[in-house]
Amino acid sequence: MRQSTLLALESFQTILKALIFVAIFGVAISTRLFSVIRFESIIHEFDPWFNFRATKYLVSHSFYEFLNWFDDRTWYPLGRVTGGTLYPGLMTTSGAIWHILRKIGLPIDIRNICVLLAPAFSGFTAWATYEFTKELKDSSAGLLAAAFMAIAPGYISRSVAGSYDNEAIAITLLMVTFMFWIKAQKTGSVLHSTLAALFYFYMVSAWGGYVFITNLIPLHVFILILMGRYQSKLYTAYTTWYAIGTLASMQIPFVGFLPIRSNDHMAALGVFGLIQIVALGDYIKSQVSSERFRVVMMISLALIISVGISGLFLLTYMGYIAPWTGRFYSLWDTNYAKIHIPIIASVSEHQPPAWPSFFFDNQFLIWLFPAGVFLLFLELKDEHVFVLAYSVLCSYFAGVMIRLMLTLTPIICVTGAIAISKLFDIYMDFSVLLPSKPVNEIKPIETKDDVKESAALSEEDDDYEADLALDYEPSSKARWFDVAAKAIVSSTFLVYLFIFVYHCTYVTSNFYSSPSVVMPSQNPDGSVALIDDFREAYYWLRMNTAEDAKVAAWWDYGYQIGGMADRTTLVDNNTWNNTHIAIVGKAMSSPEEKAYEILKAHDVDYVLVVFGGALGYSGDDLNKFLWMVRISEGIWPEEVKERNFFTDKGEYRVDSQATKTMKDSLMYKLSYHDFPSIYPNGVGQDRTRNQKITVNDVGPLDYFEEVFTSEIWLVRIYKLKSPDALGRDHGEAATFDRTLQSGVKKRVVKKPTLELRV
Amino acid sequence: MLRRMRAALALFVMLFAAVNALSGDSVNTLVIYDQRVTDLENYTKFFKSLKESSYDKSSNQREYRVQFAAVNNGDAELLQLYRNDDKLYDNLIIFPLKTRQISKEISTAKLLEFYKDGGDILAVTSPEGLVEPVRLFLNELGIYPSPKNAVLKNFNEDGPSSKHQISIANSVNKYVYDGTEELNLEYDGSSALLDNGEYIVEILRAPRESVCKNTNSKEEDWSVGSQGHLIAGFQSLTNARTTWVGSSSFFDDEHYSANGAFIEELTKWAFSEKSVIRSVGATHNHASGASYEEIPYKIKDEVVYEIGLSIWDGKKWAPFSADDVQFELRLVDPYYRLTLSPGRVTEDTQYYTTGTFKLPDHHGMFTFLTEYKRSGLSFVTESDTRAIRHLANDEYPRSYEITNSWVYLTAIGSVIISFILFVVFFIASSKNIPVDSVKKQQ
Repeated sequence: MRQSTLLALESFQTILKALIFVAIFGVAISTRLFSVIRFESIIHEFDPWFNFRATKYLVSHSFYEFLNWFDDRTWYPLGRVTGGTLYPGLMTTSGAIWHILRKIGLPIDIRNICVLLAPAFSGFTAWATYEFTKELKDSSAGLLAAAFMAIAPGYISRSVAGSYDNEAIAITLLMVTFMFWIKAQKTGSVLHSTLAALFYFYMVSAWGGYVFITNLIPLHVFILILMGRYQSKLYTAYTTWYAIGTLASMQIPFVGFLPIRSNDHMAALGVFGLIQIVALGDYIKSQVSSERFRVVMMISLALIISVGISGLFLLTYMGYIAPWTGRFYSLWDTNYAKIHIPIIASVSEHQPPAWPSFFFDNQFLIWLFPAGVFLLFLELKDEHVFVLAYSVLCSYFAGVMIRLMLTLTPIICVTGAIAISKLFDIYMDFSVLLPSKPVNEIKPIETKDDVKESAALSEEDDDYEADLALDYEPSSKARWFDVAAKAIVSSTFLVYLFIFVYHCTYVTSNFYSSPSVVMPSQNPDGSVALIDDFREAYYWLRMNTAEDAKVAAWWDYGYQIGGMADRTTLVDNNTWNNTHIAIVGKAMSSPEEKAYEILKAHDVDYVLVVFGGALGYSGDDLNKFLWMVRISEGIWPEEVKERNFFTDKGEYRVDSQATKTMKDSLMYKLSYHDFPSIYPNGVGQDRTRNQKITVNDVGPLDYFEEVFTSEIWLVRIYKLKSPDALGRDHGEAATFDRTLQSGVKKRVVKKPTLELRV
Repeated sequence: MLRRMRAALALFVMLFAAVNALSGDSVNTLVIYDQRVTDLENYTKFFKSLKESSYDKSSNQREYRVQFAAVNNGDAELLQLYRNDDKLYDNLIIFPLKTRQISKEISTAKLLEFYKDGGDILAVTSPEGLVEPVRLFLNELGIYPSPKNAVLKNFNEDGPSSKHQISIANSVNKYVYDGTEELNLEYDGSSALLDNGEYIVEILRAPRESVCKNTNSKEEDWSVGSQGHLIAGFQSLTNARTTWVGSSSFFDDEHYSANGAFIEELTKWAFSEKSVIRSVGATHNHASGASYEEIPYKIKDEVVYEIGLSIWDGKKWAPFSADDVQFELRLVDPYYRLTLSPGRVTEDTQYYTTGTFKLPDHHGMFTFLTEYKRSGLSFVTESDTRAIRHLANDEYPRSYEITNSWVYLTAIGSVIISFILFVVFFIASSKNIPVDSVKKQQ
């Protein structure tokens, strides 16, 4: 009887679980579709535009061509070895999906596949989180974690429809790799660790953040060894994972020999060596098992570690191992980037986050996170050590760089789910209301009792409920208190959960669903208006300029110009060449004639600037201008000086009090050219910086001519004048034209002061 | 809508054809003069030479359709260079003008526009007549004629005489006058200072013992010795030419017997009849003959670059020979600068080639550039930007082709073999089941 009840429960559970998963998938995908509904099926932001362009290249060329793609439309005139400097995982994934769908007779536009890839993968992330959490606690915690993962804004921020970025699939792969690692580490199964290595390889092919896995798994192993928890299972799991994973990762052209040459990967190699020694020591110990062994062990360990570390230093010093990268240093010292590598500091997602953003991205999970970690600490199984290491590392990293909030979110979801599920295990357990039965009576279902039919099952259910009614004991007051306390606690948490869902939906729909290519704003009557200046400008470039025209713009817009306007750019968001970016920065911060010279030397035809003054858009080029100055000052400290762009009082001003250097700079002129004159009295109101610009502030523009200004003046495009036919400087020629027009005549002809003709 | 556009297009084509027909065979030339300074009767030989060449019989008849317009004489109708934005003339000759302005229509800006549009200008000034727009225009080019009343004199001679016998040795540009005939030019007028502009063509220098100054005022001398120039030219980037001559009597019938041969060459140069070269196009391809379109370039490929140049000999295009044509392969900075050697010759073109050369070991967007700019010759610029790609993943030599790697390959091979041997021996040698596994089974 009981067994059959349990069987029924079991199958009911399976169905319920399946239903829950369907719901989680549904929620995960649908909540990410806000952007498509609010706006349209469009690729978002900046980097996705490159990924999209690369994907289009992949589906229109062979994989071989993609792998060896030399992109002559970016980083003019250097070009970019794109095939060798990208993580191809994302493009190959959507390329493969595109090909498969075509094979089965579903030809879908590649753009739609790219737009919807991130939502599709978020469902798998939820599943992987479930499996991961299940290994840590049980399946109920797993389900909670999966649900959290599906809707946590910290993850949604990088995976809404249209956010076609590496992170879109990388987080999924991260969780799958970790899940297989935990399984491998628990069981010592070669299969699981091979799977972990394969997914690690996939991760390496998809995102530079793979280094996180490369360091976290060795750290886990290292801590376990230090804790004296070495087992042969651990040896099998780690060595299998490391050998296969490393060899596989070296097949990605962009990674190449980094795993044995870069310091970021040395921890994994070191632990790989260490575990061999530990294994040997373990073997010797089992053979010798004497007191002496300990002494030998300690000495040899100290020796090995010191030799290893000094070897590392020596090899780094001699240049065989690449030193730590700048991005790595900036993880430890938040001021490092600001001083040494302004280009990294200039990226907003590399800034430290404000504290409220932790709550914003994770809501109540952020305070359940420590509770979950604490609960795991109490138990401290081998796999819990992994979660602890992960939590500690990632909390720090997320505190340094807002972008790494993304890697913190999964572990917050997992630990938060564990905390809640532990709480519910106790407080949702209303079995006191059931007839008291010793728990140990329940035994695992055995197969021989599998005779019950579905009809019988329903009878059993009736019996069960009848049992409930019969064994009800209302007499005990204590039991009532117990029930009341549980009801209060659990209902409180249910309310929290409800608010969490509400918060997630609200944040997703209002903050994380904007494509940033198209911006929402409000009409005076409150209705939504879309600001579509970017696409307007890019489309203008596409339709009105020569196919091989070169466009100079600050690097932020490089990928978009490449993707939407299909024109050659000087610099883009790949930022691999700081000097080249500094050249554009120098041109922007130099006076017109110097800028013209620099740009002409690089065959530039058009200059594109983003100007938010008319609209009040704060992300415009004048606000980024100081970074341009800083980056170029880093290369030419003699020619560009940041101090000259500030007033004597140290203010960043663009109005009549702006410094001469500021007013002469190309960026200033291109931004404000003709701007004041559209206002009455010639006094323009810069709504971004809240300063007044008068006609007299903006000098004449002689070397460039305005060819396009978008509807709300957000994007302005200028053409470099072709060289003067008479070989004159454009400035001189324009001055001459102005004196002709003003009609001032000089009666007396004076002998010119000329240099000696050579 | 479409139909209307088509109609407009047809109209445009017709208009274009009409304009072409107007300026078709003959060269429209406007001569602006001032009756107070210039009597056209004195210049019959000069104007005749524009219609038919008297010296160089080999060249075909010149067909200048000359239009005369006098300032201050009711010719205002004729005194314009543009009608409805259409350029009316190919050439413009301005004789010394005493007026303040040329006309309402012809201002400094209009002269600049006409010149930038490709119109050739011959500006003749004299100590009596230097009109403001012409002066400003010449100043913009870097030619500074001496002001009114400043006269070129020989400082060895006192007295009013300002006539000079000028040896042809003072003619400095062989593309204007090649100096085949010894001439003694007769010159009476002003001089000009030149600035350092790249596009200025020095034509005739002032004699070493000359000085140009206004004897009536105490201003400093305008030019001394060969610092001054009597005739100067300018060639713009559009290959339009401006020629300044500081004397109107240089052209008149009285001096034509002495100056005629030079004047003819000078006007030929001024109105782009000679020293005009063109490129028939530059090509580059793999040394094997495959074009870039067939096989894109990669680093260290062997390629050949070739450019063909022709010169206009007055009747037809002929091969242009020179030994200083250079080719550059640039990526911001030049990676190669090769002097081209003459290759094959066709009826009208001389081809120059680099021969086979190796592309640099650097990928990027390289510009194949020939910039042939010689003072006096028209400018030729041919540039083509192409990508040079990196080596593909399978274009590097295989590991076993590199002898250095044999050491490592042997190491790998021996490790693999010894591991397999170890496993085989281990399995073969252990007769008993290990104790551990027995335990595990229990």
